[in-house]
Amino acid sequence: MKLCDMKWSFFLNRYIVTFGSIAIMAAAWNLYIAFNNDGMVAGRVVGPDNRPVEGATVTLFQKTLYVAEPRGKATTDAKGKFLFTGHESYRLWLEAIKEGLGKSPKEEYRLYFRNQNLTLAEPLRLEVTK
Amino acid sequence: MHRHPHWPIHLALSIICALMLVPFIWVLKTSLTGENIFVYPPSILPENPHMFYYVEVWYSIPFFRYLVNSVIVSTIVVAANVVLNAMAGYALTRDFVGKRTVILLFLSCMMIPFQVTIIPAYLITKELGLLNTHFGMALPLCSTIVCIFVFKASFDAVPKSLVDAARIDGVPDWKIIFRIMVPLSQSAIATNVILAFIWSWNNFLWPLIIIRDQAMQTMPLGLSRFLTVFEDTTGALYAFCVMVLVPGLIIFLLAQKQFIAGLVSGATKG
Repeated sequence: MKLCDMKWSFFLNRYIVTFGSIAIMAAAWNLYIAFNNDGMVAGRVVGPDNRPVEGATVTLFQKTLYVAEPRGKATTDAKGKFLFTGHESYRLWLEAIKEGLGKSPKEEYRLYFRNQNLTLAEPLRLEVTK
Repeated sequence: MHRHPHWPIHLALSIICALMLVPFIWVLKTSLTGENIFVYPPSILPENPHMFYYVEVWYSIPFFRYLVNSVIVSTIVVAANVVLNAMAGYALTRDFVGKRTVILLFLSCMMIPFQVTIIPAYLITKELGLLNTHFGMALPLCSTIVCIFVFKASFDAVPKSLVDAARIDGVPDWKIIFRIMVPLSQSAIATNVILAFIWSWNNFLWPLIIIRDQAMQTMPLGLSRFLTVFEDTTGALYAFCVMVLVPGLIIFLLAQKQFIAGLVSGATKG
């Protein structure tokens, strides 16, 4: 029993606990990343009246060194849903446009890691442009 | 005997401590909010804090590469400091001809700033073929005079009879140092580790001179590069500052008790 206690007491010094905790957190974070890095962006587009908009074009912009460049386009289905796969950034912008209905403001989305899966909490809302 | 209340002193010290923490809290707050540093009046608590500036730093520059380089150099410096300074400190506790001169020489060398010796240091490093290497970056900090004296003060506190007994038993000097003196000088080791780590971690000028390859750069060089590449990066810049500071802070907080004991170990001897 005493030998066992001595063995554990070695692992309970503050250096081992601190650096061990950091290592465990880093490992857990990397594990989380491994399961959530498909580069998927999913969301909805609604019109000014909050109804889903079918056939709206959503453009995905990705951050480069200085500017945001368009990297892909998707079209919404009957429920106003769209889906991008395989984005490679940690900072995205989304913009939706539908001729005759208007376009949404360019919304910025910042992520915690590259290729992070993102489901928009709020839909992109089209606004009538004058 | 009349005793004065302690609270006024504690209050004054608390206020001074809080004032000294203000710059650090400011850096931390800006790294979490990206708030413009010229905003007046500045907010005390961060508004809408987030970690995205840290993410930006991580991906904008080869942060992990800088981190690995800094860790390698600091590890070499710390290990070399503990071993070499312990040996030098032990030598200074022994009696030998010219000991006083050596100590005076060491003390006078402490007055010479590193910038003065930087060209000879560069030439020596070049001759050794250590330019653009981790060992080259670590070389000038492998032994520091302050830390030698920290070890000397700590070794002076070890009873001479203990060393004499070991000598009589035929224990060689290197074993006396590493089996007897060093285990009895934990506070001196902690002081050496912390000082060597912080000096090495924050070293900017020497790596700037001898490193040519971007992949060999350390954190302070990375910080400088970050400033030249990006312009409007208040939040990310402060996040990088925090990321550079945190390892040193962790090491200091873990070993602060021994560090302070090591610094004052020679102060109470007659």
